[in-house]
Amino acid sequence: MWHKISFRLLKQELKRGELTIMALAIILSVTAVLSLSLFSERLQSGLLERSSEFLAADRVLSSRRDIPQEWLDEAQGRDIQTAWRVVFNSMAFANDSLQLIDVKAVSDGYPLRGELRVAEQPFVEGEVARGLPEPGEAWVASSLFQALQIELGDSIEVGNSEFKVTKVVTYEPDVGFSVFTDSPNVIIRYSQLEQTGLIQPGSRVRYNVLMAGSQQALADYERWLLPRLNDDTHSWRSIEDGDSPLARSLNRAERFMMLASLLGVVLAATAVAVAAQRYCQRNYDVVAIFKTLGASRQQIRRIFILHLLLLTALSVGIGMILGWLVQSFVIDWVAQQLDAELPGASWKPYALAAATGVISAVMFTLYPLFRLVEIPPLRVLHRQLVGAQAVRWLQWLLSGGTIYALLVLYSQQWWLSTALFAGGAFAALLLLGIGRLLIRASRQAGMQAGSAWRLAMAGLQRRAAANSVQMLAFSTAIMLLLLVIVLRNDLLADWQRQLPEDAPNYFALNIAEEKVPELQAMFERENIRSTDQYPIVPGRVTYHNGERLLAEVTKEDREAQQEQEQGREGFGRELSMTWRDTLPPNNDIVAGSWWGEDAEPQVSVELNAAERLDIQVGDELTFNIGGEEFTVPVTSLREADWSTLQPNFYMIFNTATLKDFPATYITSFHLDEERKDELYQLFRPFPEASLIDLDAIIDQIREVIAQVSLAILFVLVLVIIAGSLVLIAQVQASMDERQKELVILRTLGAPGKLLSRSITYEFLVLGAISGFIATIAMDIALLILQTQAFGMDATWHWRLWLVGPLSGAIIVGVLGRLSCARLIRRNTAQLIRKLA
Amino acid sequence: MLIQAQQLEKIVDTSEGKLQILQPINVSINAGETVAIVGASGSGKSTLLSLLAGLDLATAGDVLIENEKLSELDEEQRAKVRADKIGFIFQQFLLVPSLTALENVMLPAELAGHKGAEKEARELLAKVGLADRWHHYPNQLSGGEQQRVAIARAFVGQPKILFADEPTGNLDTHTGEKVEQLLFDLNKDYGTTLIMVTHDNQLAEKCQRVLRMDAGKLTEATQDVA
Repeated sequence: MWHKISFRLLKQELKRGELTIMALAIILSVTAVLSLSLFSERLQSGLLERSSEFLAADRVLSSRRDIPQEWLDEAQGRDIQTAWRVVFNSMAFANDSLQLIDVKAVSDGYPLRGELRVAEQPFVEGEVARGLPEPGEAWVASSLFQALQIELGDSIEVGNSEFKVTKVVTYEPDVGFSVFTDSPNVIIRYSQLEQTGLIQPGSRVRYNVLMAGSQQALADYERWLLPRLNDDTHSWRSIEDGDSPLARSLNRAERFMMLASLLGVVLAATAVAVAAQRYCQRNYDVVAIFKTLGASRQQIRRIFILHLLLLTALSVGIGMILGWLVQSFVIDWVAQQLDAELPGASWKPYALAAATGVISAVMFTLYPLFRLVEIPPLRVLHRQLVGAQAVRWLQWLLSGGTIYALLVLYSQQWWLSTALFAGGAFAALLLLGIGRLLIRASRQAGMQAGSAWRLAMAGLQRRAAANSVQMLAFSTAIMLLLLVIVLRNDLLADWQRQLPEDAPNYFALNIAEEKVPELQAMFERENIRSTDQYPIVPGRVTYHNGERLLAEVTKEDREAQQEQEQGREGFGRELSMTWRDTLPPNNDIVAGSWWGEDAEPQVSVELNAAERLDIQVGDELTFNIGGEEFTVPVTSLREADWSTLQPNFYMIFNTATLKDFPATYITSFHLDEERKDELYQLFRPFPEASLIDLDAIIDQIREVIAQVSLAILFVLVLVIIAGSLVLIAQVQASMDERQKELVILRTLGAPGKLLSRSITYEFLVLGAISGFIATIAMDIALLILQTQAFGMDATWHWRLWLVGPLSGAIIVGVLGRLSCARLIRRNTAQLIRKLA
Repeated sequence: MLIQAQQLEKIVDTSEGKLQILQPINVSINAGETVAIVGASGSGKSTLLSLLAGLDLATAGDVLIENEKLSELDEEQRAKVRADKIGFIFQQFLLVPSLTALENVMLPAELAGHKGAEKEARELLAKVGLADRWHHYPNQLSGGEQQRVAIARAFVGQPKILFADEPTGNLDTHTGEKVEQLLFDLNKDYGTTLIMVTHDNQLAEKCQRVLRMDAGKLTEATQDVA
């Protein structure tokens, strides 16, 4: 029988709208979690797929030695596509000219992700290539045409073989960002590799096996493969590894999505918590009546647990449908905006969303439900009776534990959840204290004011305990909202700064010193914006504080060298070094100081390089440039921003040290899309210069950022909805109490205007205080997040110190006023009856 | 003997010390009797009713319903006694706001696990003249109608004892009289023992016995009223 009562209560209460807030809160938490996780999973795999183009694969296995065929067979057996990409330096000969090139020998299927673009003439937009060069043919980069003065159809010699140049490569997905190491690329077939005779024991070759397949297959294969890898020879990479601007943007975006979603989940859970409390309070009288009519505790427990479970199941169901609809609309829209197709998602988001709904509904209702069962039947005669007060800490423990569990469940990251939770708990305690103090202060102020104000302040004070909890919810909601909005703006601005519209889209390298003025004149004449010209001197670091550094880092090299000499690992390659009088843009000194003019010979070392070789300020480094060795002290360590597409250097010397060494120059410049055809002509007078086209890379980064920005916008909207719901639930929760007061004041003849004003003022003050607290909390949280989680510069947001309290006052004031409007419109008799 | 109170006392703790609400009370009520408990506000009438009905526990003494000592029962067992033997009518009606008139009336029978609760409830609603209002919610009914629903609810499951706490206290005179009439008529039909708390002497006169409560002391006052 009890289940019938349960069903009936649910049906009638739903019909009468009494469960709306509770249901909405659960629906929202499920909708938010589902749509967010579906969306981010789909977007992320879309992004990954898209960004995998930068690797030309989903994963790349690299080695300095040949890779066992059985490893490839194993991958193919798991439905993973594979393709070879073997890269090495060599020289190309043609027309009596000689040019250092990067040979890329690739097998069928390359590139597994992204596309290779080719053209019939250098420096033009290409078209998607069909297939690969035939045996005996080579496809070469535009700059090689310039360097060797060749034309399409000419032959070049590489090693023992001759290749006919049949296409110009205009875009390779996996070209990478490294400006200095890249010589013009020549693409040949993997099957031709042997006959070039260029690969000898000890040659510097990078063997890469590109792989692409489902995430699951790749993950399984990775488990199989990792134990077989040798750290010294092999590397296993995905696009998310590494220090490229794209990897950083992606990681940062992922962290933001995760954080914003977590905050959304916390907000939604808070809404459920607030609504659950009220849900149970509303049923106190009902339980007293039930008990009077002979219901046992067990019956009550069953009736309300079933009631709650039914409500939860219904809300979770609706939430799932809504969440799915929302994300599919958004995905459609995003896909349309970006002209991309996003892959489907796994079952995980559905499970996660359902679990979130059920956990938050059940856990947050547990304590109020416990109190509900304890309501004594005598309440029918004495309305103030609420039964045995269970230990309050139990509620805090349950709610805290639930929020923490949700954080962990959602993020799958212990440290992030723990940090967020601990920070949140501390902030909550602080907010609670500040809230009470401010309410007390406002009461003092209110005493001086007119009667509506006095009434409002008296109301605030009377409900001080309830209000400080309420304020905590308001502040949390406002704070999280501000946080997400500000973080989004900062993040976008940061990206925008990295890639402004007129970001340089070409690097020009190998410019002879005497040609620099001519090049500069050409840029000015043609109205092309360029950056500083940096001189480049290639050299090696040979000694650190007198200790010999080895030239190679691989195991076999090391073994070979160690037989001849003692020493430790060095850079392992030639470095491009430069000199300057002023600190380059996007560099910050982190130790020591930058030199003045006419300083003694010295060097500034980039921080990552310094950490790798354990170099400190004051250490001495010996360099070998063109056979000449010299030793200089390290006078500063620099942090360079590698996410900008600007030249960066590990070693920067002062002018006095390097100016007498022969140098070539590098510069970057921006050339509008429509002027690309002119490039060949413009650079004719500079045949030795190499050009690197960054447009394709920039476009892809922009595209990724555009996708991420849309994603962030979506998260923001959801967080705003969740925040509003918390506010509404909280205002609703105080409604019963207010109703009683209104009846008394109304009966005593208080005019409606006075009442509505006093309510509005009360909420305005509550909102302003909450907004103020929220702003403080937000700015502190931002400071920590920006510096710790996002690697951005910390900024204060002074404007928000005005916006926070103001928007808090307006939002809470309006919501409060609207929620009470119906109450005020009712006449006294109606109110009394509603209470009775 | 249906109900017996033996040396029944109620003492509560207040900020100014202990307050004796009920002096030791001894009273016996036979099956089928109609009993009114009258007295001024704060005299302890409602407290006595809550003890007799097992809604609250006495500080000392005992209540026996059909020779079963309520003090020896836990809350669950007392709930069972209420479910099986007792019906209630309150001044505030105390209907469940989210249930319809019919569902409110069915509630005690369903909680007691009776079959045919709906049929019985519909018959009772017809008896109180609300057959066509069964689907209305409490807030859609007037005060008198709500109390009639409460009366129907009190009789569903045919309890042996009916406790009524100021059943007409919230109603105007005219409506009050109609509700009184209905209550007594049904009580007669069902042969229920009625124990009613009221400060309305006229209403009390309609009962066979009147007990007067004065500062926690109970005296037999049937002759006074008559």
